[in-house]
Amino acid sequence: MWSTARTVAAGDIVIIWQTRESVQPLLITPGKDFNSKFGFYPHSDLIGVPYGSKVGSRNGKGFIHLLRPTPELWTMALPHRTQILYIADISFITSWLDIKPGSKVIEAGTGSGSFSHSVARTVGARGHLWSYEFHEARANKARQEFSDHGLADIITLTHRNVCKDGFTVTNTVDSVFLDLPAPWDAVVHAKNAMRKDCTSRICCFSPCMEQVLRTVNALNEAGFTDIAMYEVLIRPHEVNEITIPKLDDIVTKLKQSEQKREEKRLRQIANAGKRKREGSSENAVENGENKKAKTDGANVTELHRTSELESTSTSAKGVGPQALQGADDSASVNGAKAVYEVRGHTSYLTFARLAPIADEA
Amino acid sequence: MDEAISSVPMNNLIQSGHTVLFRLLNGETRGLKVDHGSAVSLGRLGSFPANALIGQRYGLTHEIQGKELNILPPRVLQEVEDTDATNELITDGELVQPLTITEIEALKQSGAHAADIIKAQIEQHANYELKTEYSKEKYKRRKEAKYMKAFTTVEPTLHNVCEYWFKKDHNRIRDLRPDTLSQMLNLGSIRPGGRYLAVDDASGLVISAVLHRLGGEGRLISICDVDSPPAYPVMAQMNFAKDIIAPLGTLNWATAQPDYAPAAPQEESSSGEPRSDRHRQRLDRRKLANDALQQTRNELFSGEFDGLLVSTEYDAFEVVQTLSPYLAGSACIVVQHPYQQPLTELQMKMRAIPSYLGPSITESWSRRYQVLPGRTHPMMSTSGTGGFLLHAIKV
Ligand SMILES: C[S@@+](CC[C@H](N)C(=O)[O-])C[C@H]1O[C@@H](n2cnc3c(N)ncnc32)[C@H](O)[C@@H]1O
Repeated sequence: MWSTARTVAAGDIVIIWQTRESVQPLLITPGKDFNSKFGFYPHSDLIGVPYGSKVGSRNGKGFIHLLRPTPELWTMALPHRTQILYIADISFITSWLDIKPGSKVIEAGTGSGSFSHSVARTVGARGHLWSYEFHEARANKARQEFSDHGLADIITLTHRNVCKDGFTVTNTVDSVFLDLPAPWDAVVHAKNAMRKDCTSRICCFSPCMEQVLRTVNALNEAGFTDIAMYEVLIRPHEVNEITIPKLDDIVTKLKQSEQKREEKRLRQIANAGKRKREGSSENAVENGENKKAKTDGANVTELHRTSELESTSTSAKGVGPQALQGADDSASVNGAKAVYEVRGHTSYLTFARLAPIADEA
Repeated sequence: MDEAISSVPMNNLIQSGHTVLFRLLNGETRGLKVDHGSAVSLGRLGSFPANALIGQRYGLTHEIQGKELNILPPRVLQEVEDTDATNELITDGELVQPLTITEIEALKQSGAHAADIIKAQIEQHANYELKTEYSKEKYKRRKEAKYMKAFTTVEPTLHNVCEYWFKKDHNRIRDLRPDTLSQMLNLGSIRPGGRYLAVDDASGLVISAVLHRLGGEGRLISICDVDSPPAYPVMAQMNFAKDIIAPLGTLNWATAQPDYAPAAPQEESSSGEPRSDRHRQRLDRRKLANDALQQTRNELFSGEFDGLLVSTEYDAFEVVQTLSPYLAGSACIVVQHPYQQPLTELQMKMRAIPSYLGPSITESWSRRYQVLPGRTHPMMSTSGTGGFLLHAIKV
């Protein structure tokens, strides 16, 4: 598979991690440059650097992490040619189908090869994956990719329509994975390819319930047992430090604010009385007071006559939780919550078992 | 026949000494050891000689008939069609026994097969034709579960063993559900030939899982909290062959410290020549154990491991910090915990340290469906959690 050496060499495929949202593969080719908004990196700078290193850009614009590819990173980084499988489904399918070192596995169709890379890693050199794709260009692209990733010995890719023409092996594989629009048309072919001397297993991956029902019928008619259907999703959680203001604080602030307003009210009443008494000079005084208020910004709102409602909202804004952030008394905890928008559906996973044929005693 | 058997990998055949999972018709699963010459007792179903099972393939359905086991054909779903029949005309009371207990006993005495008893019951069941196809199927299944002395042997796959433990005692495996466990293995990128560190306070489930995915190639060092290698209860059902366990080495939290020194260093040097053959053997054994321990320690300290998998009762941050110096650049770190808070704290601490890239917390959600024509829906009850995962990359 990919390089297992400690350091990056020319010809390696590495994963460039810029942020979690920006993860991409790179074939290290001396003479070429890697350019992104995180800076400028001649490939030759990356050769000899240990995997897992943080590398600064030549032009000081940022840095990148240089990672060793894994099938999981590949799934995040790969060029999409079709819809692909993600880790939640891949790992559950691998588990239910009991894919392990030495397993012989069939998949159809190959698509973008997301599932293929994971299976190839898990079955290892003693296992094998027969992968089928009926879209010729896609098949060729995937074949090239498998070979570039050192998987040519583990994965055999065949360009064919498996619903029409079936698979290339019989009584051989431990498990079959079908990610096709009409898996029910391939179920009998799959049974032919599966071994009968011990339990073998199948999984059909379909986004729609109507497909599931047709698949279940086909599996049942073909003699599969233990039919089970699942959905699996991963909910990512985000962790933040959340500030928790103290009630005591807000009580004090509210009291202070009320006190201030009351003082102001009294002052205004006193002023009004004074103005009445001073009679003709009223206008001049008011102008003077307004000028003074404008120089003292904090008091502007409070000097204006405002409605009850407005004044409440103003004062709430002044002393509410935001205003208290960072105040010495407020506590903080680390909180985790599910992120706001998550994947809601991928596909239904329909599994079944093909029981071994007993020895005739 | 011999030829056919020899081509089956040995762990697909039931062998003497295996702990076999038996699935009964009522859905219950039991784990029992199968030893040559002993009897296997399945409670109400009765018992049978273990030898009748040894050498059989895993995954077959057997019926107990006296001292023999008959292999039954695989049980597919009966044709279940939506019919016009409803339960409208059936009163609950009438749904019960169409045959009296005495009649059933008489049938049993006469040596009737379970299938015949069920057939007789169905024939006698006044309302049977009125029932929907679906409830007919359910009725038949219920009767089968009651009268058939049949079981299916469950193949000891990691998935099946995890599911068995999750149902039996989820606390002992720290709530690790099969989907969560499978994500640990993929996030940890466990592959044959890889080298991994694991901390497993989940009864050996994590260790078993990694060994399963190493397939005998590579290395796994387990750091435990007891002074000699623990007996991992989960491993019993995996029925691992010797070569699958070979990659496992064990240290404990004391011997995993660089400054650890054995309390009683070298006995030989102080006591001179061995006093007797038995004494020499004891010294040899001890030296061997010491050498192995020293070698495992050296291996740990020379580092460059590909991944670290943790499900621990101890402080997860301490565990990760203690072991991460031995991880290679780009190695995967996966920590599972049944509670979210410890992982929240762990994530906060890890993200302040530049050598951990992208620590993130996820929770797996899964549910199973009943699939029957016209009656497909998610199961009415399901497990609420498989625990939480934190995943990061060592840089
Ligand atoms: C959704 S993609 C598979 C994605 C793949 N599982 C992955 O993880 O990247 C489905 C693929 O199946 C191929 N396909 C559909 N019907 C097929 C058939 N009858 N025989 C072979 N391939 C087929 C399509 O061309 C497409 O590339």
